[in-house]
Amino acid sequence: MRNSFHTMILSATCAAVLAGALPTPAQNAASRIPRTPDGKPNLTGLWQSIGTADWDIEDHGAQAGPFYQLGAAGAVPPGQSIVEGGEIPYLPAALEQKKKNYENRWKMDPVVKCYMPGVPRANYMPFPLQIIQSQRDILIAYEFATTNRVINMGKKEDAAVDTWMGTSNGHWEGDTLVVDVTGFNGNAWFDRAGDYASDSLHVVERYSLRDANTLNYEATIEDSTVFSRPWKISLPLYRHREKNARMLEFKCVEFTEELLYGDLRKKPAEGK
Amino acid sequence: MRTRILLATAVIGLVLSAVPVWAHHAFAAEFDVNKPLVLKGTVTKMEWINPHAWIHLAVKNADGSTTEWLIEAGAPNGLLRRGFTKASLPPGTEIVVEGWQAKDESNRANGSNITYPDGRKLFIGSQGTGAPTDKEDKQGK
Amino acid sequence: MRKQIFLLLSALALLVAATLPAAAQSNPSKTKSDKSWAAPKTPWGDPDLQGTWTGDDTWGVPFERPKNFGTRKTLTEDELKDRQKRVEQSEEFVETGGTNHSPAVAQIEAKEKGEAVPQAQGRYGRGVDAAPVPGHWGEFARRPSHATSQVVDPPDGRIPPITPEAQKLLDEKMATRRRDPQSWEDWSYYDRCITRGVAGSIIPVIYGNGLEIVQAPGYVAIRYEMVHDVRVIPLGTQEHAGPGYRSWMGDPIGHWEGNTLVVDTTNFIGKTSIGVNGDAGPPSSDETHLVERFTRTADNRIDYQMRVDDPKTYTGPWTVEFPITQEPGYKLFEYACHEGNMAMRNMLSAARAEAAKKAAAGAAKP
Repeated sequence: MRNSFHTMILSATCAAVLAGALPTPAQNAASRIPRTPDGKPNLTGLWQSIGTADWDIEDHGAQAGPFYQLGAAGAVPPGQSIVEGGEIPYLPAALEQKKKNYENRWKMDPVVKCYMPGVPRANYMPFPLQIIQSQRDILIAYEFATTNRVINMGKKEDAAVDTWMGTSNGHWEGDTLVVDVTGFNGNAWFDRAGDYASDSLHVVERYSLRDANTLNYEATIEDSTVFSRPWKISLPLYRHREKNARMLEFKCVEFTEELLYGDLRKKPAEGK
Repeated sequence: MRTRILLATAVIGLVLSAVPVWAHHAFAAEFDVNKPLVLKGTVTKMEWINPHAWIHLAVKNADGSTTEWLIEAGAPNGLLRRGFTKASLPPGTEIVVEGWQAKDESNRANGSNITYPDGRKLFIGSQGTGAPTDKEDKQGK
Repeated sequence: MRKQIFLLLSALALLVAATLPAAAQSNPSKTKSDKSWAAPKTPWGDPDLQGTWTGDDTWGVPFERPKNFGTRKTLTEDELKDRQKRVEQSEEFVETGGTNHSPAVAQIEAKEKGEAVPQAQGRYGRGVDAAPVPGHWGEFARRPSHATSQVVDPPDGRIPPITPEAQKLLDEKMATRRRDPQSWEDWSYYDRCITRGVAGSIIPVIYGNGLEIVQAPGYVAIRYEMVHDVRVIPLGTQEHAGPGYRSWMGDPIGHWEGNTLVVDTTNFIGKTSIGVNGDAGPPSSDETHLVERFTRTADNRIDYQMRVDDPKTYTGPWTVEFPITQEPGYKLFEYACHEGNMAMRNMLSAARAEAAKKAAAGAAKP
């Protein structure tokens, strides 16, 4: 008698699960994500990617850095591609430009000069980012160079001028924040390896909470003057959970002035 | 002696003339007040950037050759708030620039007064409601 | 140099105070005493300060109070009338651009006619009053401020005397500004596109006075248009970062007192000045302690207050107060300063060219 009762409970449970009446393990994780009072996933927090995408978003092995004096501290760490499919689909002429960029990367990488990293690179720099999600717009503040951008969640606004961080318009698709970014000035790179796009760049980002402490980030890249087709990157961002975690400040302009202006220092021959 | 200008000196204009005058930290450090010039040319590009917008100007010389001048203008964000956009000064536009040449004698000058050939000033009033214009051609500058 | 600036600001205030029609009714925002207005709240119950705000209306208000005002914080009706006139003139100038007469042209014409070049009227340089750009690139007040000054405490509206160490640092700074430029270090942190500091990012200037507030449960964030600065202010009981961590904008912690956001900021590097563009006045010290208060008093108005405590620099605390307002259509645009800072290279290049000329002239002397 007991056995058949248990069997009955088991069957009923299975049926209920199949019917969607009981949460599955996956649903449990999804329903445990933090939500705002209006039911949207709450992305507010201090996030950072792990990995070496900023060095090179494609597969790369360890390499010497630009200055032997820094030894291992200045060397390039290895990493696996965050590009879906592995390789960026450059048009032939654009690939030549990428190679030129790569050969001169320490001079040409805008981030070396403390220029703003653009989108999507800002999201996988080795620095934290703070998302502030209000009931209206969403601000992302990046520790690197105090870069920041506001995602307009209201009526779509076009870009009046081309900028480093583009103009961001966002909306929710279920539990995914979709951000359409246009109006780039074409000056930012995707990484330190010379991967680049033009001012025709169009990026569509997707942010979704895998769980309370993991943010899945995807970006579809489109630029028909540089790439033969749209392509996609994806990687997780992780929530900072140390006690007293906060965004700090990395204002790097001062560290680049000798590099940018050093040739115009007062010369000894000028005397007093 | 280099004269340092703090922004507060814009107030001087308000005191001495009814017209508010732009005060800038870099003018005398960059430009030579003894080298006034008037340049007439065609815009090849306008960079809507900060802290200064830059107008690239192709100026025809007397001998028929063309010199590319770089004109330092103001910060564009106030103009952007009044509805102007990157389409507001398209390449090919003829303008007249009055200003002073750079102290290092390069082909750079500041745009103390920028007009169309008929005398109308650039960027006067408001372009629109303050909303950006629609449907920019992403391939164009 | 600072004294001269403030003397000129005082002169402006006097001129402004001369004639002003009654424009007190022109301020459309409701006052604190309007009982029908309720401070809006976010869905999670915090006072809602969100939106884009500008200090444009306080541009032109003297930073320190001219001595003749004494302890008076507000303009009389006549004084307000005069300021209203100035505001209207400024707005008209933005719309029309003023006259086309350019000092550069006047200079050229004078030279061609063999006439004497007109005397300099301003501080821009020798010769004609040279305006770097037409005034309509600037932004102006939309309505006259009632305030006699931005500093409201001590009661005479004047900053307490600075310490001897601060005077020394100020003298050193002014000396580097007067001499021929040797490197980028001879310019302000603003000119170098590093930062204007907390105070310099909100004290109004001739353009770019916008900031945007975005809130989330547990946070208030403020982004400032110039120099694309942002402060993330955690709310609650978090402690400040340890004293070994220093930054230009400091480490802020916020909490609510009724409808007022109180932001307590320490851990400053110092060096920027607590004044216009983070450069007017002596450099601040690493002991700077700022307490700011943001209170929304109308749909389109926040009353802002900043108390400055920096015992290494000032012999007493002092407080700045002015409103920031929301204006239809006013939004922030990217201000990527360093990326486009050609002026820095140009200024240094000019300095080297001048020095080379001097050296050549010196060498040419018998």
